Amino acid sequence: MLGGCRPVEHLSRRALLKGTLLTAGGLVLPNWGALFHSQTIAAENQKRRKHCILLWMNGGASQLDTFDMKPGRPTGGPFRPGATKIPGIQICEYLPRVAQHVDKLAIIRSMRTQSPDHPDGIYHMHTCYKISERVPHPEIGAMIAKYCGDPNSDLPGFVRIGPTGNAGAGYLGPRYEPFSLGREVRLPYFTQSYLSPEAEARRNDLLRFMEERFAQTHAAEPFASHREAKERSWRLVRAKHVFDISRDWPKVRDRYGDTDFGRACFLALKLVEAGVPFVEIGQDNYDSHADNFVCHKANMHVLDPAWASLLEDLNARGLLQDTLVVWMGEVGRTPTINNRAGRDHFIRGWTVVLAGAGIKGGQVYGTTDPDGKDVKENPVSEGDLFATIYTALGINPRVKHYVGTRPIWATPEGSQPIRELLS
Amino acid sequence: MAQRTYVVVLASVWLVAISLGSAAGETRLRDVIDRSLAETWRRENIQSAPLADDATFLRRVYLDLVGTIPSAEEVQVFLRDYDPDKRAKWIDRLLADPRYAQHQANVWDVILFGRNPPGGDATRKRDGFKRWLAGKFATNTRYDALVRSILLAEEEGSELFYVQFRNQPEEATVAVSRIFLGTQLQCARCHDHPFEDWTQRDFYGMAGFFVRLVVLEEGSGNARRFRIAEKSSGEVLFSGNAKDQVPGRKGEPVKPKFLLGPELNEPPLPNDHKETEPKPGQPLRKPFFSRKEKIAQWITASDNPFFARAAANRFWGQFFGRGLVHPVDDLGSNKSSAVPGLLDTVAQEFVAHGFDVKWLIRELVSTRAYQLASSGPVSEASPRFYERARVRPLSAEELLAAIQVATGFDRTGEKLPGDTQEYFLRYFGEPTNGQGEFQGSLSEHLFLNNSGNLRQMIQPRKGNLAQRLLIMHEPWDKRVELLFLSVLSRYPSEAERSRFVQHLTSPGRPEALLEEAIWVLLNTAEFRFNH
Repeated sequence: MLGGCRPVEHLSRRALLKGTLLTAGGLVLPNWGALFHSQTIAAENQKRRKHCILLWMNGGASQLDTFDMKPGRPTGGPFRPGATKIPGIQICEYLPRVAQHVDKLAIIRSMRTQSPDHPDGIYHMHTCYKISERVPHPEIGAMIAKYCGDPNSDLPGFVRIGPTGNAGAGYLGPRYEPFSLGREVRLPYFTQSYLSPEAEARRNDLLRFMEERFAQTHAAEPFASHREAKERSWRLVRAKHVFDISRDWPKVRDRYGDTDFGRACFLALKLVEAGVPFVEIGQDNYDSHADNFVCHKANMHVLDPAWASLLEDLNARGLLQDTLVVWMGEVGRTPTINNRAGRDHFIRGWTVVLAGAGIKGGQVYGTTDPDGKDVKENPVSEGDLFATIYTALGINPRVKHYVGTRPIWATPEGSQPIRELLS
Repeated sequence: MAQRTYVVVLASVWLVAISLGSAAGETRLRDVIDRSLAETWRRENIQSAPLADDATFLRRVYLDLVGTIPSAEEVQVFLRDYDPDKRAKWIDRLLADPRYAQHQANVWDVILFGRNPPGGDATRKRDGFKRWLAGKFATNTRYDALVRSILLAEEEGSELFYVQFRNQPEEATVAVSRIFLGTQLQCARCHDHPFEDWTQRDFYGMAGFFVRLVVLEEGSGNARRFRIAEKSSGEVLFSGNAKDQVPGRKGEPVKPKFLLGPELNEPPLPNDHKETEPKPGQPLRKPFFSRKEKIAQWITASDNPFFARAAANRFWGQFFGRGLVHPVDDLGSNKSSAVPGLLDTVAQEFVAHGFDVKWLIRELVSTRAYQLASSGPVSEASPRFYERARVRPLSAEELLAAIQVATGFDRTGEKLPGDTQEYFLRYFGEPTNGQGEFQGSLSEHLFLNNSGNLRQMIQPRKGNLAQRLLIMHEPWDKRVELLFLSVLSRYPSEAERSRFVQHLTSPGRPEALLEEAIWVLLNTAEFRFNH
């Protein structure tokens, strides 16, 4: 495929360059294979691979009560803006720890989108296409798993936790389907063996015996795909310990907050460290048609420590430069406060926040009018946002796939990455 | 102008086809196909695979005709049958098997609906529709009559096809043209087609036939049913290229027009006509003029330029892995076939034989080409020139049926746990990417590795394979034979026999060892695919 970032190609170019440097003494390296597999290159590869963590605000978070506050206006609500690390950028007083990382954040205040409700908005903001199109579009997680994942990894490339997307791997196929964890980061069904490790090993050896013999006379691609998927399922069970954070969790629990969302953010850090290209974490209860302010205050109390700690730890480990952290939901919320102290769905001007992977932080992109009723400057569509995300991750936003006979692009025609945010 | 070119091209292909046909004289279609392929292989300088051995053939044709694998006993009887015509004899037997109709219904259910049809709850459970379809295949209804009754949707059980396109005539247009006419009109929905002759006007002209259909929903729960009503008025509105759309602009009404054919000749509605909105619970009223009848008639006419070719190509693809024009539902004017002329021959013969589905399927699986080996050093699943048999994954339905035959669970008289079917659909329902290529999935294997649903069928229980093997008095190498015949529908090789005897006689509980052995064979690529 024509992806901008084929990690493997990246690797081979960089690796070869590095290999040449290492042998600059004049030695000619005829053995490309050995070079390719050397330790240095594996480490280099791991270091340069891009990742993405999506913090999914399920139901649609209010921009007016978080990142696009309108103090003193009728639409403003009771929360006060708080100062951040960057003069001139204010965010909600209930995000004090995130405020300390605003230098890393690019705040897009001008999302103008098309799908106003939950199933369609969730689909649209996970695929950048309308749900009504009938083409099985893949979620952003599947796309990133395909283009930034390591095909030889023991771990799935697309992990999601809690309430998240609704499209799956679509036309990219079962290879990139999500590996979905439940609340309290519970592993999905059928990851627990009913056999003892000895019995399992014995059984698997016997299967390998059959498969090896069959492969000698049957070279068709589907057979190989079947065998590889089986091996992947076994490797996953071996690598399952990566999902077990119980040992480290008590040490960080107070920083992340003792919540499902906090725990999932810490797991995301661990998974990215282990090489997983995409992790999505859903946080529930943003759909505040009533009691918007009660909901949002409680949610931010959970969100703030988890998000801030995730950014801190990614940064401390040197991972933030290659890891994009996205904060978004399917819709924003109305400026008008309804008679149940709620805010309804809003798509005329709302906020998404990006950080890491070379995104230029400490800036606000786009503005809304004084009451937040519409975008004033620089409207951003779903396609523009996805083009920005893909570009930051080294994926060509116009990479083309086929569904049957029909060509489909990763982002719709006319989508433009936001150059101001990209380095 | 463009339209004329298309007709000329079509006509010349037709001529090639006729000369092929007449050269064949009284010969059977299967011989024409084999001669035509042999010629192609010579021309392309391709070595074809040898004939598949009997056991491989039997498993393949069972899966293709009745949707499951043969029992160990059936394999043994077939292998011991020394009649030189035994393959033909067994093909006839399977075509007469009651499971044939059910299997074809399963195949066509996926063609007509896919695995995740629009319509949510209403189209998720399709047992009634499948029963209706199976009835059609059981009586070997002519293909044109079958399609006509799907499009008319007047028989009880047949209505569901349109339910997935409720209030969306454009979606019905795309599906009907693709499935029954082998044409990909969807591009023309938003703009004139980039490489075909059809324009947006053609698209909306076809949509005009479906715009007056109304889906009536009656009852609820198990008693829920649907009826398809047709109004006497209502037009499709056309508002130009989707890119130039502006909100608020309504568009102009478009007359119904047959694809690349004339406009519909329709009597004007009387001035005093008053439209009565069809309502659930009331008897269906015939429209003043039925567009649905006209389109059903036009599509299924034997001289329709698309219909018979689309059908021939689809049935061919079902048994040979890829259409003579590939993919099966894209017979665009500039698409060429790897075997020029053959599709037209098959289509013409299908028409000449009165759209007899069983006849066509019998001819296809009786070709030497269908019965070739699939093994060898080639990596493609469906060879372009059909020089070896295709490899395809078992469908979710086939897999569940085959596992029950393999494990002997079908002899226990027990019922599967209620969620088993759902799991199989979830994990095996869509094993391919957008291009129809197989992709093994992680969740499929986690299910196979660790699911109690599968384990329950494997573990010894009264009447099943594990139980039979445990209580048999034969030596282990004989029991391994039955194990292989039951699951892989063949005898074990010497190496396999000794490896499995060694496994089954190693220290440990025989029940556990046996369970492992059966699980292993069920998890082989050899079992997962029809090859």
